[in-house]
Amino acid sequence: MAEITLNNMVKKYGDGFPAVNDVSLDIADGEFMILVGPSGCGKSTLLRMIVGLEDITSGELLIGGERMNEKAPRDRNLAMVFQNYALYPHLTVFENIAFPLRLRKDVSDDEVTRKVQEAAETLELTEHLGRKPSNLSGGQRQRVAMGRAIVRDADAFLFDEPLSNLDAKLRGQMRTEILRMQRRMGITTVYVTHDQTEAMTLGDRVALLKKGELQQVGTPRELYDRPVNMFVAGFIGSPPMNFVPGEMTGTTLKLPFVEVEVPREMRDAIGDREYVMVGIRPETFEDNSVLEDGKSATGTTFDAKVDVIEWLGNETYAYIPYDAPDHLTARLAELERDLDSERMREQLVVALDPASRIAGNSQATFWFDPQRMHIFDVTSGDNLTLKVPVG
Amino acid sequence: MAALDLRLRVPSPDLLALPWREPLATWDMTAVAFRDVPVGPSRHLVRFVEADDRLWALKDLPARVARKEYEALRAMEDRGLAAVRAAGVVVQSVDDAAILVTHYLERSWQYRRLLMRVPATAATPRGRLFDAMAALLVDLHRNGIYWGDCSLANTLFMRDGQFIQAWLVDAETAEFHPSLTDGQRALDLEIMTENVTGGLMDVAARREEPPSATALILDEARSVAARYEQVWALLHDEPVIGLGEQEQIARRLRALEDHGFAIDEVRLEPADGTAAALAGDRVRLKVHVASRTFHADRVRELTGLHAGQGQARILSDDLRADHERRRREDPATTVEESARRWVLEVFGPGADRAHAAVGHHGDRTQAYCDLLEVRWLLSEEAGHDVGDEPALAALAARGTPNDSAANMAFVDLPTAELPAISVALIDTLTSSEGSAMSSRDRPEDPA
Repeated sequence: MAEITLNNMVKKYGDGFPAVNDVSLDIADGEFMILVGPSGCGKSTLLRMIVGLEDITSGELLIGGERMNEKAPRDRNLAMVFQNYALYPHLTVFENIAFPLRLRKDVSDDEVTRKVQEAAETLELTEHLGRKPSNLSGGQRQRVAMGRAIVRDADAFLFDEPLSNLDAKLRGQMRTEILRMQRRMGITTVYVTHDQTEAMTLGDRVALLKKGELQQVGTPRELYDRPVNMFVAGFIGSPPMNFVPGEMTGTTLKLPFVEVEVPREMRDAIGDREYVMVGIRPETFEDNSVLEDGKSATGTTFDAKVDVIEWLGNETYAYIPYDAPDHLTARLAELERDLDSERMREQLVVALDPASRIAGNSQATFWFDPQRMHIFDVTSGDNLTLKVPVG
Repeated sequence: MAALDLRLRVPSPDLLALPWREPLATWDMTAVAFRDVPVGPSRHLVRFVEADDRLWALKDLPARVARKEYEALRAMEDRGLAAVRAAGVVVQSVDDAAILVTHYLERSWQYRRLLMRVPATAATPRGRLFDAMAALLVDLHRNGIYWGDCSLANTLFMRDGQFIQAWLVDAETAEFHPSLTDGQRALDLEIMTENVTGGLMDVAARREEPPSATALILDEARSVAARYEQVWALLHDEPVIGLGEQEQIARRLRALEDHGFAIDEVRLEPADGTAAALAGDRVRLKVHVASRTFHADRVRELTGLHAGQGQARILSDDLRADHERRRREDPATTVEESARRWVLEVFGPGADRAHAAVGHHGDRTQAYCDLLEVRWLLSEEAGHDVGDEPALAALAARGTPNDSAANMAFVDLPTAELPAISVALIDTLTSSEGSAMSSRDRPEDPA
């Protein structure tokens, strides 16, 4: 077990382009750390620098306090999990877990047996050790593959988009298995993914990268509630946060669909800016007609024409088109490119209570709490309301 | 409903007519010409379909992975690497599913074909298989390609002259870099060693080999990395030698040729800086090798024959000897004329007879290569040229000399024909290794 420390890590390729730029990160012993971001953000490169697959251009990598920059992959005592998880049909579950150990000359047969039995216990496979893989369920098979990583006694587990080659059903199954194993073993884990759902559900903390630079590190909750900028705000959350242009006139913030009286602290944060970007998560909105008594008066309501309703059983989404001024749509287009997303058409996405009866192509009244707006600087994208208490 | 996104590189009407909208798993056995081809353990469903008289491998994958693998295989093809040829990718509208279409590799076989037919102790044929895997990985790495999942199951094999040629069949995890770091190569080798160990132990379990076979298997699996390192060093080391050490230069060139490389350029540069260098008697030896299709390209140019690189080496020698003979008769004969006549007068009839001798199994060109090899070996033993007849007889009786590459012909036999293997063949296969085949593959077990 060990902590992993990244100090000002840089990776530059021949053309001088920094694929990873000055990333510093402390991963605590036993922590489940997610590296996430859109393609090209440097998350995989960073992981490979930790494993030893990519040379470190500058900066320092410490594992358990020891400098690793110059060490070969095998001397770093890390386990890449699931890079190859074929199960062999004629080998027992025991042997499927044990055989990589047999390649190591320093591990005796007794030790192999002990390690496999321990791993089997962790993975709840003990009673299956004598069976062949064909007699196991899908989840059990995945656990056998994990067993191979466990018996290595590595200081940390590393995962590089382990689920990206799997179909949706298996992906969900594996996610649970990985989380369960990590929790039981308490082993330091670094996990790379481009999928924000995976990031949010698996990690103790999430490190979000963009173009080689670390944007924010924090618990999933912190990233969700307190995104430092528009990029983080737009990346975390599904469906993503709505970004709408806002214009300040006195104490009033004019949005395309409603005018909001801005609370004092928020006004201070906005300062003398005339235009801002306003972020409101879909789940911040409510159908005014299903609110409990008295709640409506605590926030802002507005009428809007609903274009389409998407009913997903446990969730319902309403889509509300609006017009945005040209000078702000350019900023949104840029963010779209950064986020690698195709959404962000000029429409508001609203997550509705299942009790809501709003229909498509109809007029409805919506409610939201202005305290829960995020206000961003148009140019830098910085979140101006980080210090404003959430309502 | 979203449209089907179909990309096929071959204008095959039968292929186009397949039920691409349906999940591969549900295709109707009675409507589609499925063929049963053994494959190793695979993450994804793979089915083989006959269309327009050709065999195609269809693999069910998530769309993103399928597109990536399609591009990876095409990039490998562009670089002349031994990878299966991508024929198309079909992205279905449902569930982000896709089907990757590749050409079935004619005459190729799966590792089990060889490993199930010989015991863990049959070092020579198994060694040829591992040499092939090592050579493939060296080739990929020289091209900046990290495989990420090199295994017996992800490789197909084919006899190629006196070699076995390994082909990459699964590029799901492949990555392309300008060049690979030592760390990337080391990890790829580690993955390969582990995968090969698993594959070999699986076969041993299936063959019910005794537990004592395990130690042998582990050594064998480790040997693949050692074989790789040996070839890698041959290609990349630049030793400083004495100018007079001709023998060392010759040894190196021979070693490269033995691994199937054609020498493109030999350079001797002054070894830098030392007093000895000033004296001019210490030099750095640099060897550049030609592309791995050098001989094959040359043979195709001259004769129109599509041969593997290993086969082409043998054919090139035969062509050269034939040309020299013709030149002695008529000094004005050009290489091109000789080549034309060699195809008609020498290769054609010889290949027909050799192929007939081995019951028309396997590849005709390979049969001709085997004939040349066996004839050469028998002549060497006899001390004079014995001619084609004894060699053809040996091929027909499956009684080719020990450790000859022609011995490997058994991999091209269909399983149904295996019981017909002569005791003589079993003896030749196993005598040098001092062990017997398992009862499963052996009709009469003297043990």
